[in-house]
Amino acid sequence: MKKISKALLMSGIAAAMIYGCTGSSSGPAKQAAVKPSGHPVLTEQEMLTPCQECHQAATPEVYEEWYNSRHGIDNVKCFQCHGTYEELKRVPDQFACAVCHSAEFQHTEEGKSCWDCHPAHKFVVHK
Amino acid sequence: MGITRREFLKRTAAAAAASYIGINLPAADRGQAQAADVDSWHRGTCRLCGAGCRVDLGVKNGKAVALKGVSDSRTNFGYLCMKGMLFYKIMGHPDRLKKPLYRASKKDPWKEITWDEALDIAAEKFAQAVKEYGNNSVAYYGSGQALTEETYIFQKVMRAGLQTNNVEGNPRLCMASAVGGYLTSFGADEPIGSYSNIEKATCFFIIGSNMAEAHPVIFRRVMRRKLDHKDEVKVINADPRVSPTSRIADLHLQFEPGTDLALLNAMAWVILDEKLYDEEFIKNYATFRVGKEKKEVSFEEYKKFLEDYTPEKAAQICKGNITAENIRKVARWFAKSSATMSMWTMGINQRKRGVWANNMISNLHILTGQLCKPGADSFSLTGQPNACGGVREGGGLCHILPGHRLVKKEKLRRQVEEAWGVPAGRIPPKPGYHTMAMFKAVNEGKIKAIWINCTSPAQSLPNCDLYRKGMAREDCFMVVSDIFPTKTTELANLILPTAFHFEKTGVYGCTERRSQLTRKAVNAPGEAMPEVWIVREWALRLSKKLNDPVIEQCVAPFKGLEPDYELPKAIWDEYTQKLTKGRDNDLRGATYDVLAQMPDGVQWPAPTKEFALKGGTDIKFVRGIDPMADSEAKDDKPLQFYGPAHPDKKLWIWLRPYKGPEEVPDSQYPFYLSTGRIIDHWHTSSMTGRIKELMRANPYAYVEVNPEDAKELGIKPGDMVLVESRRGKNVLPAKVYEGPVKGMVFVYWHDMDEDRMINRVTKDAFDPGSKEPEFKICACRIKKVSGPKPLKPYLVTM
Repeated sequence: MKKISKALLMSGIAAAMIYGCTGSSSGPAKQAAVKPSGHPVLTEQEMLTPCQECHQAATPEVYEEWYNSRHGIDNVKCFQCHGTYEELKRVPDQFACAVCHSAEFQHTEEGKSCWDCHPAHKFVVHK
Repeated sequence: MGITRREFLKRTAAAAAASYIGINLPAADRGQAQAADVDSWHRGTCRLCGAGCRVDLGVKNGKAVALKGVSDSRTNFGYLCMKGMLFYKIMGHPDRLKKPLYRASKKDPWKEITWDEALDIAAEKFAQAVKEYGNNSVAYYGSGQALTEETYIFQKVMRAGLQTNNVEGNPRLCMASAVGGYLTSFGADEPIGSYSNIEKATCFFIIGSNMAEAHPVIFRRVMRRKLDHKDEVKVINADPRVSPTSRIADLHLQFEPGTDLALLNAMAWVILDEKLYDEEFIKNYATFRVGKEKKEVSFEEYKKFLEDYTPEKAAQICKGNITAENIRKVARWFAKSSATMSMWTMGINQRKRGVWANNMISNLHILTGQLCKPGADSFSLTGQPNACGGVREGGGLCHILPGHRLVKKEKLRRQVEEAWGVPAGRIPPKPGYHTMAMFKAVNEGKIKAIWINCTSPAQSLPNCDLYRKGMAREDCFMVVSDIFPTKTTELANLILPTAFHFEKTGVYGCTERRSQLTRKAVNAPGEAMPEVWIVREWALRLSKKLNDPVIEQCVAPFKGLEPDYELPKAIWDEYTQKLTKGRDNDLRGATYDVLAQMPDGVQWPAPTKEFALKGGTDIKFVRGIDPMADSEAKDDKPLQFYGPAHPDKKLWIWLRPYKGPEEVPDSQYPFYLSTGRIIDHWHTSSMTGRIKELMRANPYAYVEVNPEDAKELGIKPGDMVLVESRRGKNVLPAKVYEGPVKGMVFVYWHDMDEDRMINRVTKDAFDPGSKEPEFKICACRIKKVSGPKPLKPYLVTM
């Protein structure tokens, strides 16, 4: 199977960085470094950068796990679980899983999270 | 400078590392998550692509607040793509059209008016055009996203009321070639099998389809089948562009755009040469045909015809990575597998020879007997949620009446007139304008009043600048009914605000002949109304203005019914009980009551309620599975190809020559241009562009350039690139990657910014059979115009 989108994403990162970092000469980025979610503050222009384009470089292990997972192959994107910038959740609500995995959600053991058995970002069948 | 790239990455990395802390949610929160804090869940179908995913819409305090997949649905098994899980967010969007708007001149400012005034104006303008310029001076242009009830009532009023077959819709732009292909190959429209074949197939031939982005939930099933059976299942992806779909492929066949007809004939050559065909299947069920006269020829003549398509010759035509050995390999995989399923979309349909391309895929299935058995199918994926159900089956194109009837056949027109209780001869015998002819007629001033519903041709037609000129004419009165402002509302005289999905009731019929009901769950905003109400009220006014009681007769069975349930139910009942009876899309068993009981609707043919309650027909033409294969049987054979288009009740293998695209690169325009859909957006992005998660994921279109071409032209990632054809130009940021074959560029088509609206550049050549335009191929030139620039997303607003 061919790994096809690395070059695309790298070119996207380059473009995003160029747009993001030259698109604004001021803005919230200067005023606060990190939002309560833990994410760096972004300018309006930076918010137009798909999550994975920065995270391929910023969190390469997470990116690789996701890219090679079934979620990655089927284009289940970061924002589908974590939300977008303003409502970003570092730890997704479990309803984010239940949107697609409603039946499986019913079978989770009491006191356990989905990712106790299905490791986050890899999402193999079981740990 | 805001922050440097280095700083940005550093901060992002620190934040992400923190995200691994505290990932366990208490059980109580999990319960709350499952409930998603809603008052009630309402069952329906996804509003977007043709997959037909079933969804539950969560409602709280009368507002849509969540969506989730339906686990026991046989289309999606609970899975949704990002569009499917988020489309509820547009329902309460502040840009929703909420009041009728009018302007006498297209230069005037908009004025809010009442529904009474709006319906009177619409009736007056259509009546005036009919009186002064004749019945064919008016037209309806609809959508594969309209409910079946909507398309049906629109076309009924146009044909029997206004006596014109100028009834078209955007499915002409996406699946007309598949219709032509199915009718000429199998004698009946729409796929023989179902998605359920995916879990049984051992070879997938995916050609001209980036289903990973265009049909992600169906792609998930193919991906899962492949990943769970890595050695047993082969995936062939044939496409001039390496796409996300290619990630699951064992072999990607990358050829020059338009040369796949040679590839398909060469695969047939191998199948014959290596005696991989199913002699018994051919003998029992197939004949060979050639030319416009559909002349029957022999197997030997077919074999002789294919002599021009040896793998060696085809490889020379196809170029790219195509070799004779690759062609032999995929032909063997295709023929020898226990069950082969072909899947295709616009790469095959949106072509000058789209019908031929469809025929040539089906040829391979007929030759090898890869049909009508579990896992084997020649399966066209449909783009829109109700192109099949509403437009193909409901009579939404200029040449077809409801129930797969041809306009040109008098007997079939009479059946419809009788069912409608209108005088014989009321439906004109001549088909109306097909889409490209309709907008050409608009350009020429022949159409004086046109109603455009739930679609935006100003952006979605190929070579759209040419047709926008016509739509801007002051002597063409344009009604546009929609939920948001679009490039087309910009050219309208009258804008009618319509209810959105789940704000009204009706049926969608998806790719696999499956009809599914969505009931109203929330109120539409402002004064937006369901189309079925709008058409009924308009027709009653038209009847008076033209002093023609037959127009009133068209809506008489529906007078006085409340519009949210009783009205669409009455329309569905009329259509299914009176007009699908005895037709190959027999839906009489699929009443609203039955559909409401089913988690995933009913697949036709489903002549009785008892049969419909079992789900309907999974595989057509198989005795014991398809009730019509028994009721229409002509002999004792297990397969019965009873479709209406083939008098001999056989499958037809076509002798179709290789023919290239209408426009090929030359010294002035040396590149191929192709276009397609991106996963985060739907069509012209008037809906998905208003969901911030989706807009941010793909805020603007870009041009994909092969690295070798980029190097030669000095184009770097992010550079602004001019893409220009003989018709128009765009300036877009570049993405440089090994996607398009060398010599080809690719642009997604959702962006409505004038600089990035790629249909200003595409070509409006069309298939002479299906009349479907060749969006996928034209010639262009590219050059770098500047380095990267900050860009803004763009949406039309009022």
